[in-house]
Amino acid sequence: MYVWDFAALKPYWPLIWQGLLVTLLYTVITVITGLVIGLTVGILRTNSPRWISMPLRFYIEVFRCTPLLVQLVWVYYALPVLIGVDMTPAMACFVALSLYAGSFYAEIFRGGIEAVDKGQWEAGRAIGMRRGRIFRRIVLPQAIQVMIPSFINQTIMQLKNTSLVSVVAVGDLLYQGSVITAASYRPLEVYTTIAVMYFVVLFPLTLVADQVELRLGAHR
Amino acid sequence: MNADGTMLAAQNIHKSFGDHHVLKGASLSVQRGEVVTLIGASGSGKSTFLRCLNLLETPQQGELAIGAHRFKFGTGLRAPDDAKLAALRQNVGMVFQHFNLFPHMTVLGNLTEGPVQVKGMSKPDAEALGRDLLAKVGLADKADAYPSRLSGGQKQRVAIARALAMKPDVMLFDEPTSALDPELVGEVLAVIRSLAAEGMTMVLVTHEMSFAADVSSRVGFMNDGVMAETGTAEEIIRKPSSERLKAFLSRFHEAR
Repeated sequence: MYVWDFAALKPYWPLIWQGLLVTLLYTVITVITGLVIGLTVGILRTNSPRWISMPLRFYIEVFRCTPLLVQLVWVYYALPVLIGVDMTPAMACFVALSLYAGSFYAEIFRGGIEAVDKGQWEAGRAIGMRRGRIFRRIVLPQAIQVMIPSFINQTIMQLKNTSLVSVVAVGDLLYQGSVITAASYRPLEVYTTIAVMYFVVLFPLTLVADQVELRLGAHR
Repeated sequence: MNADGTMLAAQNIHKSFGDHHVLKGASLSVQRGEVVTLIGASGSGKSTFLRCLNLLETPQQGELAIGAHRFKFGTGLRAPDDAKLAALRQNVGMVFQHFNLFPHMTVLGNLTEGPVQVKGMSKPDAEALGRDLLAKVGLADKADAYPSRLSGGQKQRVAIARALAMKPDVMLFDEPTSALDPELVGEVLAVIRSLAAEGMTMVLVTHEMSFAADVSSRVGFMNDGVMAETGTAEEIIRKPSSERLKAFLSRFHEAR
């Protein structure tokens, strides 16, 4: 019978915290860049000529229909050859995760914007408002309400997906796990701890998502 | 407004959606203070025509003059820009069949949105104006409620107040009672009636024939994309002379 010994991890806790910090940082930063990309692309896709919307659709489909791991590896190993600029692992991860998140957020934004009744645009126009103002004041607030549940789910996915950066040796939570395992020969304790840490961060977020969904449902 | 008292003049309006030629040269002119009701079978183009009056639909051909706002449409003519359209619509209120209230704002927020955002009115002034208008439509106690808490009749009265908050020269009503339960129609018609009594210039599309007969200074009968006949309520609704108008009205009464 295996004897658990979590005490053996004691010297490695600073590394674990450091890994968690990197994971959280990657999540927060790429969620923000992803949102900026997503909002821009989502808006452009809803009302622009084909020569703009088609390339954007291509971008979205490419990033939605290839595994993130492949994107990460491609950005790290292949993209530098193509553009002739060396990329640090951290940079490659930032680029891949941002573009990946952006493609999903773009679809969420587009869906939210299109879910708002066309009559809302007309009501805004009928009181003399112009396009941009109708979008900001009338349509976007309603679209965001529709989007919040999908947005939270996608953000949870994004945090989990950051674990892939360990593949190119960026020191996130999972990567530190493998480092600690190599030093301590305690894979069970290490990976259990790491799984628990992901869970402890994400579980409250899913609770929030449920609450928000419930409240939005009651508001209708 | 023109010197002769004409508030609104739409001439030879053409509108197609794809291959579907909905308006084939419809015209209407409305004097200040007049209430004009548009009747006609569904598909006759009356709603589309009404939506051309504040240019929610852009005609392919024709001329529109409302107050000082003048537009000319036709091949080779540039479509009016967003700013010019917005300027027109500030002076032309519209009430929709499905209310189209802003669900994320309170009732009062719905009323102040236009005056504050479009006209740059101060928030306290806009709120005072909004509360006055709510009192006028009998909803003073609903200022802080959200639209989802209101009945259909209350929503439509808020929508009317929202349009009035812009102090328009003309009000357009697009089947304002068609989406309402029968018992709620009366309260909305009462508000429209009181506006008429105050001398508000209005154009209504409605299926409420007895109301139309009652409130209208003139009635326009639309048929196949043109303004087939116009006249007093007496001439058009109570004592129709033409065969097609008789046919429409009798079909209408059977359907009821």
